[in-house]
Order: sequence, then structure tokens, then C-alpha cells
Amino acid sequence: MASTQSVVDEGGGEPGPVGRWLARVGRGSETFSRHAYGVALIAWRTVVYLFTGRIALRDVVTQVYWMGAQSMGIVLVTATLSGIVTSQQGGYQFSGSVPLYVLGSVVSQSVILELGPVLTAVVLIGRVGARITAELGTMQVSEQIDALYSLGRDPVRTLVSPRIIAGLISVPLLVAFADCIGMLSGMVAAQATLGLGNQAFLYGARLFWHNWDFLYSLTKGLVFGGVIPLVAAHMGLSTRGGAEGVGRSTTSAVVAMTLAVLVVDAMFPPLMLQ
Amino acid sequence: MADPNVMLDNTAQGGPAVEYVDLFKTFDYPVLAGVNLTVARGEILAVVGHSGTGKSVLLKTTIGLITPDDGDVRIDGQSVFDSTPRVLRELRRKVGYVFQNAALFDSMTVYENVSQGLSDRELREMGREKVTDKVVESLDLVNMDARAVMGKLPSELSGGMRKRVGIARAIIGRPEILLYDEPVTGLDPVNATVVHRLIAKLRQELGITSIIVTHDIEGTLPIADRVAMLDRGRIRFVGTPDEFRASADVLVRAFLERDVPIELEQV
Ligand SMILES: Nc1ncnc2c1ncn2[C@@H]1O[C@H](COP(=O)(O)OP(=O)(O)OP(=O)(O)O)[C@@H](O)[C@H]1O
Ligand SMILES: [Mg+2]
Repeated sequence: MASTQSVVDEGGGEPGPVGRWLARVGRGSETFSRHAYGVALIAWRTVVYLFTGRIALRDVVTQVYWMGAQSMGIVLVTATLSGIVTSQQGGYQFSGSVPLYVLGSVVSQSVILELGPVLTAVVLIGRVGARITAELGTMQVSEQIDALYSLGRDPVRTLVSPRIIAGLISVPLLVAFADCIGMLSGMVAAQATLGLGNQAFLYGARLFWHNWDFLYSLTKGLVFGGVIPLVAAHMGLSTRGGAEGVGRSTTSAVVAMTLAVLVVDAMFPPLMLQ
Repeated sequence: MADPNVMLDNTAQGGPAVEYVDLFKTFDYPVLAGVNLTVARGEILAVVGHSGTGKSVLLKTTIGLITPDDGDVRIDGQSVFDSTPRVLRELRRKVGYVFQNAALFDSMTVYENVSQGLSDRELREMGREKVTDKVVESLDLVNMDARAVMGKLPSELSGGMRKRVGIARAIIGRPEILLYDEPVTGLDPVNATVVHRLIAKLRQELGITSIIVTHDIEGTLPIADRVAMLDRGRIRFVGTPDEFRASADVLVRAFLERDVPIELEQV
């Protein structure tokens, strides 16, 4: 920041408002790169542990059960509602102008390309990510993480990597589940409230159907499944300062995970839909 | 005042167990400001000093839980801060660490906590029965009724019991060096004596080197070979317990006589 400071220095040695603003941007980007480095380091170590086969299968299975199986209820609810809402809204927009069977395509594409993966990710940020941060953060401030290191154990290997791998396995499955439920509920809602028959709905859905849309959806699930536990674990392990610190890092983790999911989501169309 | 750089290598066989070389660490203020200290193999060193002078920081730096701004720690001649992660893990397995607040894994039972002190390899090769024997033996050493507590969670134990489980976890892997951060704070006099005898016994029978951070001068000096006093980030005094008690150093005297340091601000 030294060079920018001299340019915007308004005399007296104290930086002016622009200088202070630039300094804040500088600190912000420094914080960002420090976190990015931390996340990358955890990801790298997980890859190494995965390929040297040093991650306990039992831990992964436990985490898959907890992240995947136990999240099915809440994913079921959000997916059902997203399907219903999309079909209602589409029905309202199309009434009179466009043939109603196009609704089949609108619902299935919205759910598969966007709502299924993103809503599932958002739900999992609260249910899975926040808990990982709080758990690891508590272990950090109560020196349990230090205790693991002191015993020659790497907390990334025993606590973090199993959660990341479980996320990579279970989130795509949850997304597939959400996609199916969302389309189904959209179809049922279209019939119940707009009188659009199932045959017409499916005809519409097939009209613009690409097989790789579903793969696109699962790929989003895979990436979100990695990003959520990765960011959550990093924020947990960098917690400082007691119960208050755990609260603070959990809040920042939820913000960071949400931003990460939305930014990654925004990168998908230019990268994969070309 | 004894020169901290002179090594009292009374039980030496080979090089020193732990060496602190010019350690510097600043948090809000300089916590370690040039610590030089050598701990001989098989030695019991007591580290004393006022609250907040960096005793815990020094102990954590020993195994790289805190990275110093400058300086190095050597364990068996091997630099802690120049090690690859793998070498560092091996170094840490040579060292047992008793945390000031026990730092037990709160989602694990006492049995699981103590058995974590064994390496994965040992756990695999020994099998459940032998591991149980080892856990029982370690809990016995800290005067705990293994059968009664093994299935309990740390939250179901008293502070003093947690502390002793922490010691059992640190000694089960038979480390060469043990670092104790206030091992008897919060213990009743009987169990404090048990712990002090255990430290002496581990040295006598297995030649284990111990560094004990403590506020319990009366209980610890009898088993210690040397005492080091930390003050404002530096080693103020190092010498035998007798030299410590007889020291003419103002700060040592004040510390021993429990003086409230008013005019000592500018010393
Ligand atoms: N991780 C940390 N981050 C910031 N400051 C720290 C950290 N660890 C220790 N400190 C600071 O370093 C100083 C020394 O702390 P330390 O825990 O080593 O004291 P101590 O000598 O062990 O005291 P006590 O006898 O009360 O345990 C304190 O002022 C503390 O605030
Ligand atoms: Mg301390």
C-alpha cells in the first residue's frame, strides 16, 4: 500500500479518505488471499491423503450418513416447494400467451439447472457447514486441535478430509434427489392448479431436454459438496478466542460459504453452457 | 544469577533433549524475547514465573504449536521449525504434552481419549485387548479407577480428573520427553503428590525428560533437577532448586517470598 498512499496522501502523514479506503481494500484483499491460501492448503492435503489411502473409510461413511441421509428431509421440503413455486409462477406468466405445455420445460430446466443444486447447497450451508465450523472452532479454542497435533495426528486427515469426501459423495446425490422431487412436485402442482395434464407437462419438458443438463446439475452438486465443507472447516480451524470467537467464525463461515456457492454458481454458465 | 547458557548436563548420554535457541514471539507485546535454554536428557526442569509471562507459549512453541517470530527449538538435535510435516509428526510422537486445561476430546470417552495417545499403527497391531490393558495401566499410574471412568465423557468428570486423564493420554505412548503445563493445578494434595511421584518415577525407570510449568513451587522443587524462571519473555534465572532458593536476585526473592512487585516495575 506504500505507493498508493503517497499518491493520495493529503499531507500531515495521515492518509486521507481515499487512502483509508484503499488501505481497507488492501487489508480486505490480504484477508481474502490468506483465506484462499488456507482453503487451498486443506484441499491439497485432502487430495494427498486420498491418494495415499490414509483416510478412514469408517469416518467417511459416518459423515455421508449424517450429511446425506439425515439431510434428505429438509431437501425434500425445499425441493418440493421450489417445484411448486416455479410452476405457479410460470403458469401465471404464460397464461394466454404461450402454450401452457412449455411450462414443463420451464419447471424442469429451472429446477435442474439452478434451483435444485443451489437451494440444496443453501440448505446444507446451514445444516452441515455451520455445524462443521462450530465443531472445529470449539475444538480449536479448547485446544483439542493442538492436542491432536501434539499426539502426532493431523486434524485435517482425521476431521476435515472425511467431511470433504463425504460432501463430494452425498451432495450430488442430494441434488439428484432434489431435481427429481422438484420436477415431480412442479408437475403435480401444474395439474392441480392449472389443469395442465401430466402428458402435456412431460411433452413440454422433453421439448428442450438435453441429457447433459442433468450432468450439469450433478457437477454443480459435486463442486458445492466440496466447497461447503472445505470453507466450513477452514473457518473452523482458524477460529480464535473463546465462545465468542466460535460465534464470530460460524457467522463469517455462513457468509463465506453462501458467497462461494453463488460465485461458483455464476461461473457455471460461461464455463459449461457454451 | 546462573548463566542460562551453561548446560547442567548431569545425566547426559548424547546431546541435549531440548534446546531453545534465541526464541522471539510477539503477540500484543513481546511474549518471548530471546529465550535460550538447554534441557539435558533425563532432566526434570521446572519452569516458573508470573502468570502471563509466556510459560505456556514457550511450551507450545517446543512442539511447533506456536511458530516463533525468530529462533528455533531443537528436539534431539532436530530442528522443529525446519522439519517436513512428516518429520514434525514423528518428533511430536516423541513428546507427550499435558495441556493446562487438559484439552480432552469432548466427543470421546475417557478410554478413547487415552488410547488416542497411541499411534494408529500401535492401535492396529495391538488389538483391542492389549490397548485396553495399556489404557488401564496409564489410568492406574495417575491414580484413577479405570473401570469406573473409562466409559465416561470428559464432561462427566471433575476438573482434577480431566487433568489426570490428560496426563494418562500423554504418557501412554511412552514418549521420551514430557511437557507438563501446570500438571497439578486444581488437584487435591494427595493427587498432586501422586503426579509428582509419577514424574520422578518416569525419569528414574525410563529416563524420561520432563519440563514442568508450574505454580506449585513447594511440590515441584523436590523432584526437579533445575529451575528456570521466566520473566518478561526472558530466562531470568536458571539453576538447581537449592540455588534458586538461595538466589539473591530481586525478582527471584520477590517471587519466592510472594511479594507484590510494586517498586519492581522498573527493575
Ligand atoms: N494464541 C495466542 N494469541 C494471542 N496472544 C496469546 C496467544 N497465546 C498466548 N498469548 C498471550 O501471551 C501471553 C503469555 O501467555 P501464556 O499463556 O504463555 O502465559 P503463562 O505464563 O502460561 O500464564 P499462566 O501462568 O497464567 O498460565 C499472554 O499475554 C497471552 O495473552
Ligand atoms: Mg499457562
